Amino acid sequence: MTESHISYTPLPDLPLWERMKSKRGLISFDLEVTARCTNNCRHCYINLHADDSAARQRELSLEEIKKIAEEAVSMGALWCLITGGEPLLRDDFFDLFLSLKKMGLLVSVFTNATLITKEHVRFFKQYPPRDIEITVYGVTQQTYETITRKPGSFAAFMQGLSLLFDAGVKVKLKSMALRSNLHELNDISLFCREKTNSRFRFDPFLHARIDRHRKRNDDINAERLTPDEIVEIERSDKERFKALEKKCENLDTLNPAMPGDNHIFSCGAGQNSFSLSHNGRFRLCASLNHPDCTYDLNKGSLADAWNNFVPKVRDMRSKNRDFLSTCRICPLINLCTWCPAHAFLETGELDTPVADFCRTAHARADTCKY
Amino acid sequence: MKSDAVYAPSDDIVARNIEGELIIVPLAAGVGDMEDELFTLNETGRAIWDELDGKKTITEIVQNLSVEYDGEEGEIEADVIGIAAELLKRRMIVAVT
Repeated sequence: MTESHISYTPLPDLPLWERMKSKRGLISFDLEVTARCTNNCRHCYINLHADDSAARQRELSLEEIKKIAEEAVSMGALWCLITGGEPLLRDDFFDLFLSLKKMGLLVSVFTNATLITKEHVRFFKQYPPRDIEITVYGVTQQTYETITRKPGSFAAFMQGLSLLFDAGVKVKLKSMALRSNLHELNDISLFCREKTNSRFRFDPFLHARIDRHRKRNDDINAERLTPDEIVEIERSDKERFKALEKKCENLDTLNPAMPGDNHIFSCGAGQNSFSLSHNGRFRLCASLNHPDCTYDLNKGSLADAWNNFVPKVRDMRSKNRDFLSTCRICPLINLCTWCPAHAFLETGELDTPVADFCRTAHARADTCKY
Repeated sequence: MKSDAVYAPSDDIVARNIEGELIIVPLAAGVGDMEDELFTLNETGRAIWDELDGKKTITEIVQNLSVEYDGEEGEIEADVIGIAAELLKRRMIVAVT
């Protein structure tokens, strides 16, 4: 027998990950348990009204979700994210969360915190999530509710946060950088850093609606920052800018496309994770909603989706010369929001360049003097 | 730790076997004491874990492993007691009465 038999290994350093990556093993999955939300955020790519009964009827039941999760666990998955919409809107949230934990999954939760009660806090203290991620849209009622379009949401959010922090539940904070909160982003950054004692994470890249709703996409476009504004806020955050500069140093090695390669997909979608939509559609990632790229788990199995469907999607080819001569071989692809999923949401095609994304990628490269 | 003691996996953890690696995932609070790390057992640790089934005593486990593995029985006993003590301290196993 050897001397050391047991060890604590930091999660990112588990040797298991490399083995799973090398054989396209399933590591994690997202459960979008509802598209409904208590808020009505201007920039949101998915939210439907909390009382939308048709949306509620389309949601997978607890038993249906458990069946899919069990299959994922049998395939090796170790981590899962419960997201929405607002997942706490589901009456069976506690049962769902605990069922996933009992399967041996590390479970994270994305919530807006407005529905957090003492009961949730007691529950999370007893059964700790891997983490709870909450987005801070603003640190004043005016800004927060301009974005959420829900009167009273700021007070509910602050109360939910207090309950979690006072009880010592592990929470991560983040923000979206939007037209409506740009003036407050520094204060949001300070708020997040003070609360969590960690670096500030923000996202200025807004997804278009997955239902491709025209009016809602107009709202999203109105919240998008210009390339110059994005670069400016990235420059003003030292840690983020340093990471961006590091990314720029390696750009030449990051696009694996070979001359003549006409594959549409070069990202990691479907390689070690998948996303389950609220109505049972298997997706290679949460953004990839093209009808040819989703699989109905109400009619098939996860193993079939993972083993047979994903390779077919990833083998899709493009004949679009515009794409093949630009995005497909662009060294800036990893600075860009462009991917087949976002291209579809923006243009209706998986392989069409998006001019706005391109401008932002070039602005980011320019600021790093690439 | 007494040689006639019997231990079983705690209800507060889930033991996962993924790609031949045994990973102990905390279910309830207070199991393990590190937030962003996971408890893993190597092949030997796993052999001991598999014996902690709520039926066998420590002595019986040592005897079983002595048949299966090369090594002095004293060494194997030290390994079994060492790992069982650590698992017990971290509430990953519980004594069966």
